This record gives sequence, structure tokens and C-alpha cells, in this order.
Amino acid sequence: MFKFIAKRLTATVIVITLVSISVFLIFAILPMDPARLTCGKGCSVPVIEANRHRLGLDVPVQVQYGRFVKGLFVGRTYGQGQAKIECGAPAFGYSFNKHECVTTLIAEAFPVTFSLAVGAFILWLLLGVSLGVLAARRQGKWPDRASTVFVLVGISLPTFISGLLIYLLALRLNLINPIESGRWVSPFTNPIGWVKNFYLPWITLALAFAATYTRFTRSNVIETSSEDYIRTARAKGLSEKVILRKHTLRAALAPIVTIAGLDFAGLLGGAIITEQIFNLPGLGRLSLRAVLIDYDLPVIVSTTILAATFVVVMNLIVDILYAYIDPRVRVG
Amino acid sequence: MSGSKMVKRHLNRRLIATTAATALIAAVALVGTTTSASAASSKNGGTLYFITNQQQFDHVDPARVYTGRDIAFFNSYLYRNLVSYKPTAGSAGSSLVADLATNTGVPSNNAKTWKFTLRAGSTWEDGSAVTCADVQYGVSRAFATDVITDGPQYLVGALKIPKASDGSSVYKGPYKKTGQALFNKAVTCKGTTVTFNLNRSFADFNYALTYPAGAPVKKSKDTGDKYDLRPYSNGPYKIARYKIGDEMSLVRNTKWKQSSDKVRTPYPDNIVVRFGLSQDVADQIMLDDSIPNTVDLDTLQPANLRAFFADPSKAKQRFNVYDPYVRYAAMNVSPGKMDCLDVRKAVFFAVNMQALIDLSGGLVFYGDPGDSPIKPVLGLDYAKTTGNIHDPAWSVNGNPDKAKALLASAKTSCPAAYDRATNPNKGITWDLAKTATNQKASVLIQTAMDAAGIVMKFNFIPSGQYYSTVQDTTKQNDISTAGWGADWANASTVIPPLFTKEGGFDLSQNWNDPAYPAFKAKSDRALAETNRAKQAAMWKELAQYAMDQYWIIRPVFNKGQDVWGSKVGGVYYWEPQGTFGFGGLYVKG
Repeated sequence: MFKFIAKRLTATVIVITLVSISVFLIFAILPMDPARLTCGKGCSVPVIEANRHRLGLDVPVQVQYGRFVKGLFVGRTYGQGQAKIECGAPAFGYSFNKHECVTTLIAEAFPVTFSLAVGAFILWLLLGVSLGVLAARRQGKWPDRASTVFVLVGISLPTFISGLLIYLLALRLNLINPIESGRWVSPFTNPIGWVKNFYLPWITLALAFAATYTRFTRSNVIETSSEDYIRTARAKGLSEKVILRKHTLRAALAPIVTIAGLDFAGLLGGAIITEQIFNLPGLGRLSLRAVLIDYDLPVIVSTTILAATFVVVMNLIVDILYAYIDPRVRVG
Repeated sequence: MSGSKMVKRHLNRRLIATTAATALIAAVALVGTTTSASAASSKNGGTLYFITNQQQFDHVDPARVYTGRDIAFFNSYLYRNLVSYKPTAGSAGSSLVADLATNTGVPSNNAKTWKFTLRAGSTWEDGSAVTCADVQYGVSRAFATDVITDGPQYLVGALKIPKASDGSSVYKGPYKKTGQALFNKAVTCKGTTVTFNLNRSFADFNYALTYPAGAPVKKSKDTGDKYDLRPYSNGPYKIARYKIGDEMSLVRNTKWKQSSDKVRTPYPDNIVVRFGLSQDVADQIMLDDSIPNTVDLDTLQPANLRAFFADPSKAKQRFNVYDPYVRYAAMNVSPGKMDCLDVRKAVFFAVNMQALIDLSGGLVFYGDPGDSPIKPVLGLDYAKTTGNIHDPAWSVNGNPDKAKALLASAKTSCPAAYDRATNPNKGITWDLAKTATNQKASVLIQTAMDAAGIVMKFNFIPSGQYYSTVQDTTKQNDISTAGWGADWANASTVIPPLFTKEGGFDLSQNWNDPAYPAFKAKSDRALAETNRAKQAAMWKELAQYAMDQYWIIRPVFNKGQDVWGSKVGGVYYWEPQGTFGFGGLYVKG
């Protein structure tokens, strides 16, 4: 197991390095000029060049990348005199648009995205798996048909529609105060406020994901139920509950764990649309603005690396869990 | 700059003591004062909300703030300039009033030297006095172009400090301190009097000081780039919290004294700006009036805008006015481009302006066909031009026959340009930002050009890169759509920027035009002219010339719409800033 994890961690570092290099290269070859974009109305060439220097874009891309990597280990200093700014290691850079070290921006945004992802994840797993199992057990009967309708609605409604509908409905019913909602509240200091802040986005995301999980669980459970070892268990006189819990679900859920891990990792990178609709200051919104409006390279690189890290690490966790859930699978 | 209506009146108590007659007058005045004070107190208090889809203010640092709305907001609440615009509705709002200074500036040496004396009693939020050195330091920050970006460069360009070979100032700002002695000579302090020594006559220099880039900054509180998050206040409010993507919360600055400020009357106890609301949600709040003490900092989406303006119950919660902007198409008249007057005119007469205006909201919400780069809201400097849309042959729906006639004329007057305009393998290229509206607009333009026999092609540039592309003289094509708003109520911030090479936004690339040297010389003379009426006459002549040369075509005098909740009072449109007069806003009891 140790060897397996060590190998996967090495691969993780390589993947993340490649991702960061790619982002730097993509940014370098794009035709836009961040120095010009943040120069203001009618600015002159010297001002553009001063701005380019300020952004650290006046050196070749390999030097920029070298500074970035070095900053991760020893931190970075920007400017001089009274205008000096220091970002401690691990320094992902400084956002001149948000006037903050990127590490701080990520540290502030991550709890929001994590809260959103965890709540939605629990909700959609509970809803999706329960409905899927119910539909499989009552195949062809009304619970099955009702779940089909739910799946159709859930899959057909994109989150930018369902989220907006939920938000506007909540607004109309005075369930939400748009001035207050979306503001980060820690679950440790104000658990009720935290839930109030997140329950609508949780429902929005859960609706979209649960639909897929319902369908997936249903078909897996039906398929597993027809396996020989299930028939054998039934012939041995085991109760249906025991068969479902100990045999059917264990096999049926293994592939669901795989996609759940990847979905969760994807969400940790930022649920862009949901964060945008509910005005949640998470990683999704941070990266969206950096890409579309600010062309904020340090933020783009950092959030991309973070998202890639989540996916790779979750893959690793899923592999380990997979081995635990399905005894037929052994790592190494 | 900013402020709000002055409510309190000052009684001359000595007069009350002298004669019965004046006592009577004073008694009446006293009643008036009491009434005003009571009116003021009924306006005082509460929390005023602002909502926006934006994640943050573009800038908060006084040296970097440049958009009218942000200047108006911060000048009303946070920081004071030497001079400000009068906080009132209508054209009177474009006149200057003394703010931190005791007057609106004293020019001498043919307007190459300007003096301002600081008013006594103005303080920072720690109670310390605003000093001349603070003004000097605040102005110096604009020179640190590697830290302070985006802000206006008027002071950098005008102060008497030598330029380096690349055109930048040899003074590099207060952080590097390179050339500090030169700056200290250009901006001097003697007691409470600050003197600006300029490199040219600058008749409206005091208008440039309505920009917060000329506002004082307390050196010990300067945090460089991070000053954009928490500027130190000398206005009636201070920042309690500013979190990008979340909110800015302002509370009263207890050290600010009304007696030291003749411009502002702060009413609400708290001011909260909520960032990042989805546009649909923000629109719904305004349509439902669900948070009635709210002002929307954005324009409603088109369908919601129409619904809001169609609702008679909301008649007192909206305005639809000329904003500061003129939208136009700039003709790149450099050799080999749109260098033929007849071809330029042919394009102008061919365009179906009505269709383009309708596409963007119609005459009601988008704007009216214009006849000058100078907008009528500039008052003194605007005059109805001749030709262009006043030409009898011009039609708002386009006149393809007139365009064809002009092309026929171009066939002999400038055959190469004629060939480009009519040859299907060549054609004229029009730069447009790649937006859904512009893509539709291109179809309308294409249709109109086809009718006139003009071959038009379009170069769609991603929105974020549009201006950086067309401002590059090597990348700009034949025609570029653009927009411009005057920086203050003087065409000195329109004609030179738009039509002189040094102006920074000359998309007509007109410096090869044989008439350009004379045009430029006249523009320079107008900049230096201290007689405002003479100066205005010169701007009008220059605008007429630019229109006669069709350096720009189809200007549209844009309109802007703003809405607010039913419990927001004191709303007026502050013309010079093109936005709310923030200082007058209060929460109705």
C-alpha cells in the first residue's frame, strides 16, 4: 500500500507541474495584454511598460515560471519602500486586481467552496442512492416511475436555471435576504447561519447530481441483483435486507464511489455557476473573474493547480476506497 | 468630488442684536433654520444600501479612481478634494466650489501657476489636520506608475517636471523617490498654501483637481497597492469593512466636522454596498421594491428596464438622462485606410442609424443621433454643427443613393480608395468588439452598405482586448467603434484626446492629414486659453472641423437609466459625474 501511495503521489506532483507549465504557456501565447488592460483610459507607452513591470510580465515566460516556483518555497516580495508587499511561502503570487496575496485569497475562498461541496455531496448521495435503491427494489411500480420523472427533471434542468428559480422563489417567499445571503459564516461560530447560507445552493447542486446518481444506482442495483452470488445468498435463506446491505449494495456502490469522488473533486475546484448565482465567494467565482475579466495570472495558475490537485488526490482516495469496498480489487 | 445639498443656514447673530428690523428678519431666518434642521434630522439616520453585480469598485485609492460613478461616490463619502463640483442637479452641478481649499484656485503666470489655500479645520479620521504636505504627497503618488495604475494622468502630464526620453516623467513617485527634488519644485507648500507649477498654460487646471488624484493622502497611512482597499478618510464617512466580492460598509467618521466642510451633508448612519448580486436577483429586488432603501448601481437588463419604466407607480424611482458618453465610429484616415473624404462620407450616408439605435434600446433608452464629439451636456462647448446629420440628404434610415453618388465622386477624386471600397476582393474593414449586440449590428451595417455598393468586412475582437487592439496604430483597421466621455465639463477633455496624437485616444490617426498641424496648433491654443468663452468658441470650431472631415461618424448621444427603491430620498442626477449625487441621498423615515 505504501509503495502504491508513493507512486501515486509522485505522479500527482508531475501532473501538477505539467498543469502549471501549461497554464503559464497558454497565458503567454494569448493575444491579450494584461498590462494594457489595467492601464486605464488613454494611457501612454511608458505607463503600459511600467504596468508590465509591476505585473512581472516584462521578463520571459520561463523566468516568470521560475519566480513562481521559487515563491512557493521561499515566498515573494513585490515593490519597494512604503509600497513593499510580502507574500510568505507558499506564495502563489500577488493579485494586483484584488490587492492580496493569492494564498490568502485561496485560504478565504476554499472554506466556502468546501462547505458548498460537502453539503451538496451528502445531500445528493443520500437522495440519489436512496431513490436509486428504492426504484430498483420497486422496479416498474410507482416509486420507480416517480424516480424516472425526478431523473428527467434533474438532468434536464441546468443549474443556472434551477439555481436561479430556487433563488428567485426564495426571494419572493422572503426566505432569503439578498444583502446578507452568500456572506461567509463559519460552521464553528454560527452553525445555523452556515446552514441558512448554504441550504439553497446545496439543494440546487444536489438536484442536478442526485438525478444522475439515482439512475446510476438503480441500474447497478438491478444488475447486481441478478448476479449468481446474490441468488446463492437468497438460496441460503438470508433476508432481503441483509442481501441488499451486505452483498448487493457493496458491489453496486463501488462504481458510484468512483464517480462520486471525481464529482466531489470537481466541485472543490469551484462550482462556478452555483457560486455565481448565490453570490458565494468561493474558488469558482474567484477563478471565473480571474479568467474572464481580470486576466489575473497568479489567481488563474493557483486555482487551476488547486483544482488539478483535488482531482488527482480524490482519484487516489477513490482507488483506496474502491479496494476496501470491493474485496475483488486489491491495490498493487 | 462631491457632496450634498447644504441644509443648514448660518445666522448672523450680530445683526440680531442690533436692530429690531433685522431681529425680525433673523427671527424669520431662525424659523427657516429650524425648519431646515428639522428637515435634515428627518433625513438623518438609517442604512442606505447599494447593490451591484460587480465584484468590487474598479478602484478606491484616490490616485486610481477614474470612473465618474466611483469618483462621485468616494468624493461624497470618503475623501475631499481641493475643489469639487457643486452637489446639485442640472447644469449648475458642473460649476466648481471650494472644498478643502478656501477658493477654487488662483491662477497666475498665464495659468501656468495655480495656488490653493487650505481651509482650516479639515481633519483625517484620527483627528489630525489635513496639511499642505498631505496634498503634496497625494499628488506625488500618481507618478509611481509601477504601483499606482489606472488613474488619470493629467497631473503627471501638466506639472513642470522634465520628461525622460521615453516620454515618462523623470520623477518616479514617492516610493522610489527618483527625481523627488524636481517634484518638490513643481508642487510647493508654504504654510497652508499649495502651489502647482505647470509646464504649460492650463486654464481649467482646477477642473483636473476635481479628480481625487489631486486629493491629499496622509503619508504614514499609505500602503501602496493595498491603499486601494482602505484609503484613509477625511470625509464624513470612513470604511468599516471592504471585502472584494462581498461588501463595502461605511460608518460615520466622528472626526469629520460639518463646520469644515461646505459641500457635504451626510444623511445615513451607515452605507452598505453589496457586491456580486446576480443581475436577475438585483433586478428582481428593484422590481419588487423588496429592499426599499436600496439604490441599484447597475442598469436593469433590457426587459426589466422596460417593465420598470412602464410602471407608473415607479415614476419617482427612476431617471433616464443623457450620460456623459458619446458613441461613434472613428475613421482611420491614415494613408491607405479611410484617407478619402468622399468614401468616408459615403459610409456615413449609407449607415442605417435608426436600425442600430433600435438594436440597442431605441431612442428612449439608448440615445439620439448626435452631430458632434462634444455632447450638449457640456453646455458652453457644444454647438449644433452643420453638415453630417443636418445635411438635407441625410436620412436616419440611411440614404444609399447619396452614398452611391459620393462613391461615384470618389472614383475620380481618390480612385485607390474607391477601388478598396467597392472591390469585393478588398473592401473596408470595421473593427467591432465581439459581443452579441455587435454581431447583430454588423448584419445591419452590412445590409446598408450592400445597398450603397460598399464592400464592408468586419473584424470582431474579443471584448477584453478591443481597445488595446484598436489603439495599436498597426492593428487598427479602417473603422473602429468607440465611445468617449468628457473628464470634466470642458471640451479640453474631448477634442485633444480624440483628435490629437498626444491625446491618447486618437483613433482617427489624423496626424498625416495636411490640415492636422493647424488643427493641433488651434487645439493647443484652446487648451491655454484662459478666457472661457473664447476657449468654448475654439472647441466648437474644432468640433465642426472634425465633423466636416468625417474623422468620426454617426455619433450617438447616449442615455443612461438608473433606478432606486421607494424609501430612498434626495435623488438627483449629478451631471458632471454622470451618476447619482450620492451626497444628497437619504433614507426616508
